[in-house]
Amino acid sequence: MLVEVTDLRLSLRGRQILEGVELHMGAGEVYGLLGPNGAGKSTTLSVLIGLRAGSGGRASVLGFDPWPQRREMHRVIGVLPEQAGFYDWMSAPDYLLWVASLYGRDQLAAQVGRRLHQVGLDPVARAPIATYSRGMKQRLGLARALLNDPRLLVLDEPTNGLDPRGRREIHDVLISLSRQGVGVLLCTHLLDDVERLCGRIGIIHRGRTVVEGGLAQLLARRQARSRYRLRMPEPPAAAAPFPDFKVIAREGEWWHVEIGQTGHPDAVWSALLASGWAIAEIHREGGGLESLYLSLTNEDLKA
Amino acid sequence: MSPTVLIARKEAGEILASGRGQGWLLALSAILSVLSLLLVSNTELSLLDNAQVVYMMMGTVTALGALLAVALGSDAVAGERERGTLVPLLLAPVTGTEIVLGKMGGQVVAWFATYGLALPYVWAVGSSGQNLAQAVGYLALFGTPVVLTFGFYAYGLSARFVSVRSALLTALITLVLFASPLVMGPGLRDNPIGKAFDAVNPFSAALNSFDSVVIDSQPFTAQAGRLAVAIVWLALSAWFAKRSMERTEV
Amino acid sequence: MKPVITLLAACLLAGFAALAGAAARLDMALSPDRSNPSSPQMGDHMRFISVIRNGGDTPAQGVVAWISLVQVDPGHEQPMDLEDWSAHKAVTRAVLAPGEQVTVDWPMRVIQAGDYRVVISAVERDTPHIITSPFIDFHVRQKPVVESARILPVALGVPLALGGLLGWRLRRRR
Repeated sequence: MLVEVTDLRLSLRGRQILEGVELHMGAGEVYGLLGPNGAGKSTTLSVLIGLRAGSGGRASVLGFDPWPQRREMHRVIGVLPEQAGFYDWMSAPDYLLWVASLYGRDQLAAQVGRRLHQVGLDPVARAPIATYSRGMKQRLGLARALLNDPRLLVLDEPTNGLDPRGRREIHDVLISLSRQGVGVLLCTHLLDDVERLCGRIGIIHRGRTVVEGGLAQLLARRQARSRYRLRMPEPPAAAAPFPDFKVIAREGEWWHVEIGQTGHPDAVWSALLASGWAIAEIHREGGGLESLYLSLTNEDLKA
Repeated sequence: MSPTVLIARKEAGEILASGRGQGWLLALSAILSVLSLLLVSNTELSLLDNAQVVYMMMGTVTALGALLAVALGSDAVAGERERGTLVPLLLAPVTGTEIVLGKMGGQVVAWFATYGLALPYVWAVGSSGQNLAQAVGYLALFGTPVVLTFGFYAYGLSARFVSVRSALLTALITLVLFASPLVMGPGLRDNPIGKAFDAVNPFSAALNSFDSVVIDSQPFTAQAGRLAVAIVWLALSAWFAKRSMERTEV
Repeated sequence: MKPVITLLAACLLAGFAALAGAAARLDMALSPDRSNPSSPQMGDHMRFISVIRNGGDTPAQGVVAWISLVQVDPGHEQPMDLEDWSAHKAVTRAVLAPGEQVTVDWPMRVIQAGDYRVVISAVERDTPHIITSPFIDFHVRQKPVVESARILPVALGVPLALGGLLGWRLRRRR
């Protein structure tokens, strides 16, 4: 395992931020870490990349304990933080040369040029970074993360600020890296990116992992249950006469329900109407990752 | 090349080679020029003898150096945090101590740039007077630890506070407190509280040594105790900066 | 005829004498303060003390006394503008009774080297001429001060050089 996190906990200033995060990732995998704002994704990453120590649980990154062995770990991981800052008065090649020299890398100039080219930036540009667009800075951040030939790449919103072509180019870079055996831990809100790139995902909600596993398996399990949205002006008089029928949540007149594999939708609606359910509208809700994500992280709906 | 040297070179480049850094030096030279021109145009000041004027110039240069150190130190960590460059620096295989020493190396360069800028002014006001060579030497000997003390202190605040503004405000208030002997005459410090403050204040240690050497022509042995005060403060503030860096949160 | 002329002359003389005796008569003494430096140099503070006395029979009205300073170096004789030397340049007294005297301090800071003569002058309303005190002469020594010939090139040159460098950088960047 490239990254192994078991029951990770973290409290800050008396507040429990992480309450049991699980993450298991192998070499060459692209792992998507998802969750709503404030769920604890960035905090989890900060523990894994050695910026802060956890309060409990266990974490191992490339065999290193992230906090006490962070100096050694930093030599073999690359990180693109969400806020990619640079010394704006330097040019991109000069900046990367400086960063590379902190790693004590030989053949610095060639490595810098190669990485700039790989992310689609001009290797000989002399303009100061201050003149770069947001997308160009994002590419430069990725080049910086790749400078030390990392075995694990940790990316927080890597396609921020990129146009569709730029996003596709970055995707290609990441896919190519994973084929070379580099692990990619991707934290993003863009579910399209996750569906395209990731083989495994983990979803964090309120500081805890609510689901983790292979994306395909999770979606297949999800498809086994169909989800619908029913509008009923009045609450039903009786319970649903089906064991494989489940009310997930309610928003006023709208009821979110799931029908399992054993129930055929048409038969279910007929039976419900016959038992007094005043259903005015029926809508099918989309399957796929968005549905899975929303169902696991939706705390506003009340059943 | 060690990370400390690499970081120091980067910091020095930013201070000296960037437009902002050269703007700083221009502002410093303007202040020294105004002071010098006052010395020839203002009747009151033009009656001062060379030794007193050199002493005044040395105190001003030390204060300006400390002011620049406070500005640079306050930005050192909090500024990087605000600009998003702190995390990449912490993710490099560099220890907190190396970061502190590297950034302070940049401050050393800034101080010696200030010192070098001040030398023509010190020569101009003091060349026909006494103890000019001693003045140049003691400005470096005492100015350096005093300036770096405030630099380290501001760095420590920068590592502890989230914003540059909070760190800068706190550091400036402390600087004004410690530099108050520069504006208060000896008479105002001639009471038990003033004397006690003078005894432990690194700024006072520097000013009293400048007075003793340049005006009263006292030897180095008379300054040893004051130099010890300045060095103790330097060590304390360096320790504060290191400890603060270890507790930096991102 | 001769007795008439004699009598007229005597009357005139008596009249003048009476007038003279009836006018106020101001006497002035001037002395240096004991705390004055024996060999003052530029920047030192000095003090002179004058005593103005009405030695006449009638009150002196509207007395004004002022200090004057003259440089007496051969070839450089000139009256000095006391603007930078002293803020205390004159005193007035509405009435000085017969026999009354007033003591006035005249502080000053000697700001230029050279030989000087200080005198106090006074007038009162009914006396048609000026009254002066005795002179006091003193010498002010030179002391080494800041030389403008060195400062000006540095004070102007250094910022200009730095400003030029900055301007060149900005132009090169464009």
